[in-house]
Amino acid sequence: LAELLNSCNTEQLVFVSNFISPRLKRDFLKDLPIELSLHILSFINDPKTLSRASSVSKFWRSLLNDEFTWKNLCVRHHFRRRSSIAPVLPPSLTFESPASKCGKFSYKDHFRRRYIVESNWKHGGRTLVTHISPDSGVVTSLQMCQNYIVVGMDNKKIHVFDVSDGNYIKTLTGHEGGVWALQYIDEVLVSGGCDREVRVWDIITAECKYVLHGHTSTVRSLKMKDKTIAVSGSRDATLRVWNIEEGRLLHLLAGHQASVRCMEICGDIVVSGSYDCTARVWNIVTGECLHILQGHYSQIYSIAFDGDKIVTGSLDSTARVWSCQTGFCLGVLQGHTSLVGQLQLHESILVTGGSDGAIRIWDLETNQCVQNIAAHDNSVTCLQFDEKRIVSGGNDGHIKLWDIETGEFIREMTTSGNAVWRLAFQETKAVVLLQREGKTVMEVLDFDALETQN
Amino acid sequence: MSTSTSEKASGETKKVTLKSCDDVEFKVDIPVANVGESDQSIPLPNVSEKVLKKVLEWCEHHVNDPQPTNDDDDSRRRNTEIDDWDQRFLNVEQDMLFEIILAANYLDIKPLLDIGCKTVANMIKGKSPEEIRTTFNIVNDFTPEEEEQIRKENEWAEDR
Repeated sequence: LAELLNSCNTEQLVFVSNFISPRLKRDFLKDLPIELSLHILSFINDPKTLSRASSVSKFWRSLLNDEFTWKNLCVRHHFRRRSSIAPVLPPSLTFESPASKCGKFSYKDHFRRRYIVESNWKHGGRTLVTHISPDSGVVTSLQMCQNYIVVGMDNKKIHVFDVSDGNYIKTLTGHEGGVWALQYIDEVLVSGGCDREVRVWDIITAECKYVLHGHTSTVRSLKMKDKTIAVSGSRDATLRVWNIEEGRLLHLLAGHQASVRCMEICGDIVVSGSYDCTARVWNIVTGECLHILQGHYSQIYSIAFDGDKIVTGSLDSTARVWSCQTGFCLGVLQGHTSLVGQLQLHESILVTGGSDGAIRIWDLETNQCVQNIAAHDNSVTCLQFDEKRIVSGGNDGHIKLWDIETGEFIREMTTSGNAVWRLAFQETKAVVLLQREGKTVMEVLDFDALETQN
Repeated sequence: MSTSTSEKASGETKKVTLKSCDDVEFKVDIPVANVGESDQSIPLPNVSEKVLKKVLEWCEHHVNDPQPTNDDDDSRRRNTEIDDWDQRFLNVEQDMLFEIILAANYLDIKPLLDIGCKTVANMIKGKSPEEIRTTFNIVNDFTPEEEEQIRKENEWAEDR
């Protein structure tokens, strides 16, 4: 054979080579047992390669439709079927596939949708709706979940919008002063403000069910335990626990020496942060004060609580971590150079936003700052994070998106304004309230997959 | 206890005999073969001499590697690195690579199976469908209409 090849000229050798080399190749995916083919595919991380591979041949296409590969990819990209922070991905109205049409869950479709959603977050998405208020009220409170986006204003109004399309639904009027705090669960909304009243509303009928009197100064914070119990905190230094189903006071929680600025509820425990530089842990059921958390040198403006750990943010430019069980201070988080006005806590991750314009990410296992982001030229006025990202708004008018892993800036979420008041986001939507050209503007951004089945 | 004494007495590690499907016998150190002691030769009816030689070369090189943990499938997949020696080792004809993957699976040598599969995965990554077909000598059996349909379905995964 060697002799024969030696006697060949180049042209002949090229022919032989072209003739032979395909025969030395193997269609691995087709020839190997299927579990090994899938094992090979499990080492491929990017959907682009996988989708290209699916157009190689009929056999490859059938293999690439295997759920195993896409399930792996979902795991690898952290596209869990349920997210522990954000609510479950809502059913998409515009996005259907053969599998979803017959009601069967498909990892490929799930991956595809989540991938598009992620890509839309990074590269733009679309503005679903922009509302520009004719009067220039200041937005004081915002909640977006379930069915509604609810916005509380310092001009006494509460506006309700449809979360699915961002459209205006109705305005709840009745407060005689600016609204400073609100929360809703299902159709029950509770609000409080400058008129010292706590109001309980039915969002569906827009009826105000109760006007609860008692506070002697502005209601500055408010949280619902459930549809029966709500707690309000006031500039009068007290907290009040209300039965909002029956419209009556259950407990008056007295002890703070100054305005109650912030609070958080978990289970039967409410924690409150005050301008008296302390935080207090209360039992909602008995009305008893369990702990007084002393340590901050200045007013407390923000608080987070997960049932175990309490974090307080203060004008003394630190955040402190406390044990709810013992009331002991577990750590002092130093780094901000000004008021720590924004806090969010999830598992061992804490994100803080300061009046120094910085966002800091902390690991509460070690109480160390793992990222320090120079985010805004002015105070951070609002922030939210989930397992992938942080969205922050500042007094500089910018709304910025950050990668929570790396702390890297991804992009500006929308056209900047004079100041950002509030923001909130879910998996496929974000709402921002800002002042732009002297007007109050609400924008709803959508990141869902829009394409329809071919 | 008796094993270690006999090892000390003979001054070398115990060996076992593996027999390929084409009846070639290999005397192999037990730790390399990772099998129990046996006086008779162990027949491997699915593995040829050529492939068995290659697999044993790999086993000898990796004899002191820590045992892989079987339960952690995801971390096996996360690690897409192949070290230099292994890369050179697997720089073989596709046919041989194919046989090595099959043998590694048959002999239950997970690390070798993984790097074999990774090698194939790397041959797929970043390629267009036509390049993949050329790489593995695959015939495009789609009609132009089907191709267009698939292209549309896959648009979402292209660069956005």
